[in-house]
Amino acid sequence: MADLDIKEKKDIFTEEFLINMGPQHPSTHGVLSLELKLDGEMVLECTPHIGYLHRSFEKLAENRTYTQFIPFTDRLDYVASMNNNLGYCMAVENLLKLDITDRAKYIRVIVAELNRIASHLIAIGTFAQDLGAFATPLFYCFREREKIVDIFNEICGNRLTYNYIRIGGVQSDLPKGIEEKIKNFIKYMRSKIDEYDWLLTYNVIFLARAKNIGLLRKDIAINYSVTGPNLRASGVKRDLRKDRPYLVYDKFEFNVPVGVNGDAWDRYKVRIEEMRQSLKIVEQALGSLPQGDPTVKTGRVHKPAAGEAYFRTENPRGELGFYIVSDGSAYPYRLKIRAPSFSNLAVLPELIKDAKIADIVCISGSLDILMGEIDR
Amino acid sequence: MLRSMNNIITGILSLIKGLIITFNNNFTSATTLQYPDEKKAMTERFRGLIDLYPEKCVACYQCVKACPTACLAMTHKQTDEKKKITNTFTYNIELCCFCGLCQQVCPTGAIYMNKIYEITTYERNKLYINLLNPEKYDEWPHTSPK
Repeated sequence: MADLDIKEKKDIFTEEFLINMGPQHPSTHGVLSLELKLDGEMVLECTPHIGYLHRSFEKLAENRTYTQFIPFTDRLDYVASMNNNLGYCMAVENLLKLDITDRAKYIRVIVAELNRIASHLIAIGTFAQDLGAFATPLFYCFREREKIVDIFNEICGNRLTYNYIRIGGVQSDLPKGIEEKIKNFIKYMRSKIDEYDWLLTYNVIFLARAKNIGLLRKDIAINYSVTGPNLRASGVKRDLRKDRPYLVYDKFEFNVPVGVNGDAWDRYKVRIEEMRQSLKIVEQALGSLPQGDPTVKTGRVHKPAAGEAYFRTENPRGELGFYIVSDGSAYPYRLKIRAPSFSNLAVLPELIKDAKIADIVCISGSLDILMGEIDR
Repeated sequence: MLRSMNNIITGILSLIKGLIITFNNNFTSATTLQYPDEKKAMTERFRGLIDLYPEKCVACYQCVKACPTACLAMTHKQTDEKKKITNTFTYNIELCCFCGLCQQVCPTGAIYMNKIYEITTYERNKLYINLLNPEKYDEWPHTSPK
């Protein structure tokens, strides 16, 4: 009898379990595939697989003129197209050593900050959806985003892929009466952010689900070169708009919100605060908008002198950099894009390790990664 | 026991707090439209399908050169007064990315973007448009008068 017991015990053992999450999964925010090694409910190892959305933008750029590549940058981070346009155009202007007008600088700041709000709205809406606050916060966020999209539709004529910021300025001046609409939106949005605080930020269930989940330590964040709200949530005060001001950001008063613990809730909270700061910037920019023609007259085909340029801007998801090498012809010799989401995704296995399987969606949702710019 | 009771009560309280917000939205006006019965008016700068005023076109090929996806194709012929006019002008909607670069470079304003945005068809060959044909978009649903 005793022998039998021992034999049975030998037969009962636990083994690691391998599952695939994605690429067709509603919570991976795009075609991301996670290979998870599980021990019961705990995650032992996570390997992200990327490349499902690869469109070869860097190679395509070598066969396009500098102006022709702007619509392609729209499709990198398709939630914040204006910011992508801005980064690319500023890189090319650096290469061309082209000065733009003051009005163009102010218009660029206004549209970039409005797009930052739209992007953060999607980030917090989908994050709440991932945590199980089904549909309501997401619909509210999309309702507010719709107002921004309407403003953009009036400014540039498109709702998602704007192609508004061009080399030497912008596509066309702001239409009549849009300033009033943006001012109304600022007033409306301020009250709505307070509403999110009621609905989500200090909700006990939300706090229990997001507090102390996915702790990203400061040193790990720096080692993985995480940027943007994810880095700031870990307590590192780094924002290119403050540290290396481009355009006219040095003329505006705004704070850089910083988190304390670096958990999922901090990352959410930093985004909420950033929306408030962006509204502040837009308000100041509208107040001091100079008059005149925004666009500098340039030739149709740009032929920069042989050389290279690197320019980085603060995107809603982090630092977006464009490295362009020119050989003096109308086409870039080489174009390299430094996408913020790529680094933000790289840190995901570190966060998911030893977490519970139910928290994976919370952690990946709080990082706000976007596959469009990872695979590019 | 006491702690779990406390958790339940605070949970319910914050649930009610959230429900107040959702309840208040009952008294605001609707933000959605009853599509397809109601349609949103497109803005003045809206970038829909590419359209052409054939009489204005001077066959300078600027739009064809500016297009990043090569969705426009043109040939020209010379008139007796040695003026260039367009012979054929085709537009492939499959490739178009609606960037508006062709509209921007046109020196005479011949090429422009109209307000059509419902561009789904059952047949693929309907997406290849002859821009010189004046009745090209008659079958397409128009959202605003031409």
